[in-house]
Amino acid sequence: MARWGMVIDLGKCTGCQSCSVACKAENNVPHGSPEEHENRQAPFWHKVISVSSGEYPTVKTDLIPMPCMHCDDAPCVTVCPAQATYRREDGIVIQDFRRCIGCKYCIVACPYGARSFNYKEPDDEDYHRPDPPPERADRGIWPFPHRVHGVVEKCTFCFHRIDKAVKEGKKVGEEVLPACAEACPAHAISFGDLDDPESRVALLLASRQWLRLREEMGTSPKVFYLPG
Amino acid sequence: MTTDFTALEGKSRGYRCLIAVLAIIALAGFVSFIISYLQGHQVFGSNNVIPWGMPIVLTIYLIGLSAGSLILSSLTYVFGREEYRPIARMAVFLAIVLIFGAMLSIAIDLGRPEKFWRLFMFFYLNNMKSMFAINGILYGGYFIISLVYLGIIFSGSRRASRITGIVAVGWAVLVHMGTGAIFGFIAAREAWFSPVKPLEFLAAALTSGVALLIVAVTLTLALSGRGLKKEVIASLGRLLTYFIIILLVLIIVDKLTHLYAPHREATLYMLAGQYSWIFWGFQIGLGVIIPLVILFNPRINKTVGWVVAAAASVVIGVFFERYYLVIPGAAYPMHYYSPGKIEGVWGATGSFALTPAEMILSVGIIAFLVFIFIMGLKYLELLPPAEPVNEIEKEGEEEAEKTENTAGSSEGQQDNDEP
Repeated sequence: MARWGMVIDLGKCTGCQSCSVACKAENNVPHGSPEEHENRQAPFWHKVISVSSGEYPTVKTDLIPMPCMHCDDAPCVTVCPAQATYRREDGIVIQDFRRCIGCKYCIVACPYGARSFNYKEPDDEDYHRPDPPPERADRGIWPFPHRVHGVVEKCTFCFHRIDKAVKEGKKVGEEVLPACAEACPAHAISFGDLDDPESRVALLLASRQWLRLREEMGTSPKVFYLPG
Repeated sequence: MTTDFTALEGKSRGYRCLIAVLAIIALAGFVSFIISYLQGHQVFGSNNVIPWGMPIVLTIYLIGLSAGSLILSSLTYVFGREEYRPIARMAVFLAIVLIFGAMLSIAIDLGRPEKFWRLFMFFYLNNMKSMFAINGILYGGYFIISLVYLGIIFSGSRRASRITGIVAVGWAVLVHMGTGAIFGFIAAREAWFSPVKPLEFLAAALTSGVALLIVAVTLTLALSGRGLKKEVIASLGRLLTYFIIILLVLIIVDKLTHLYAPHREATLYMLAGQYSWIFWGFQIGLGVIIPLVILFNPRINKTVGWVVAAAASVVIGVFFERYYLVIPGAAYPMHYYSPGKIEGVWGATGSFALTPAEMILSVGIIAFLVFIFIMGLKYLELLPPAEPVNEIEKEGEEEAEKTENTAGSSEGQQDNDEP
């Protein structure tokens, strides 16, 4: 069984946020109004944070794209009382909205702020694509285009693309990528099987120094960063 | 010596007015719950930084009050302290009402309350590693055990009530430590993550439980024209003093440990940040200092009025302790990437707006619980018989509305007043 992971090259990242936009479009995550953004009630599956350090004139800014880290020891999986969040065989941490009771314990427990709650039932104009995609069966447990309020959602590593590619025998990581990796104009995001020594991600991790966010939490994330 | 218990007759005008007022407030709370259910949690102030709001504050507060007052009832039924017997039944009933309120608040806080049953599919559809699922066992079991306990007390068997009392008290301790563990086990939130949290919750539960019991008992007995020996309140006041001191020690230990740990910014934010006036003014001022000053003052610590004032202050102070833990405690931004400061909205300190829907909902829950409590006084034999013991001074503490409405409910008790 593959163990999917992502490698993000911070040296290549320009902070254009194409990944965040592509994620919203692919997964039909509601836009959220400006007020909702200000109140932090808008859902985000992927975000790009900018971290500044130092004083003028030695200021440095790091741009960090942050999808869900799909931790091997995910705190959200531990705390979810309803098994709505679980780790799949291939390492993807999935959120099943049908099981979710909306207790928000996972939002509290996630050290990366990767989870969003649906504070309202979005209107049609809140979506990027009001029409349902043709092959809904491939969309799995996510009810595109409509969601209900009161459940938690998060990045799925675009598992619908991966599952489809695996079924069709395509090569995940080369032919098929998650939406954020596909959209990156600088090719900063690579995706692939961490257990396969020939995969692009494994080669990158073997050749470069890498870091993961918040190692002290002991979550062993599967999103790796190559410092720029 | 046996004490007979009676029920309120509940035919007076004041009692009926009080019932009506409480029912209306509870109905308003129910309406705002329906609104939140139909429109989603956007009507609440919670957001993705501070995911939990007033319903969770109420939940942990009510659980604390419940466990505290159940543990107090054990003074009579387990340890055989006869002087507390007149109030022991009321304590057990209060505990049942409060745990019911706590479970109600949790259900209301769920995004999809109709799926609450998944919490109780133990070992089958739920995840037993989650503190929520474990607490599902604890709360549900606690509710059932306290109901059985009250039933056995009504049946009058001393031996059986002693045994159930021991089980119930042990379970109440577990319930409260489990609630603390919900917060204490979350490594991601630095202000919460602490092994002391379960013990701190237990201490806060005992403190606020005793305090609420003092207030509730004095008010109920005074308003229904009954008396209680001054010594009982004074000794409850002494008990309250010990609990407050334990609580204070645990708060200090908790904060000090956090100040020595690598992530001290969140604790500094709690102690000196934007909302630290809630900590110093309410949690420490009202919850610890004012009551201790009153209870250590030898001239006034035996007067019913002052003890009740100290207890009321603790009840408010512990409420703000819960509030401060749940809402500002989650506000400090997480450092996703350690060196430097996260710019913009992702690194901003969380803000929380107390929306009207949330406030009405919370007040409605409390009104509903008072409603059940005074209905219980009418239909169950919880009160000691009315005797002309006028040692008690009439109190008009913070619940002024209650005072003016219940003044008349005293006349019904004359028929059974043999001691």
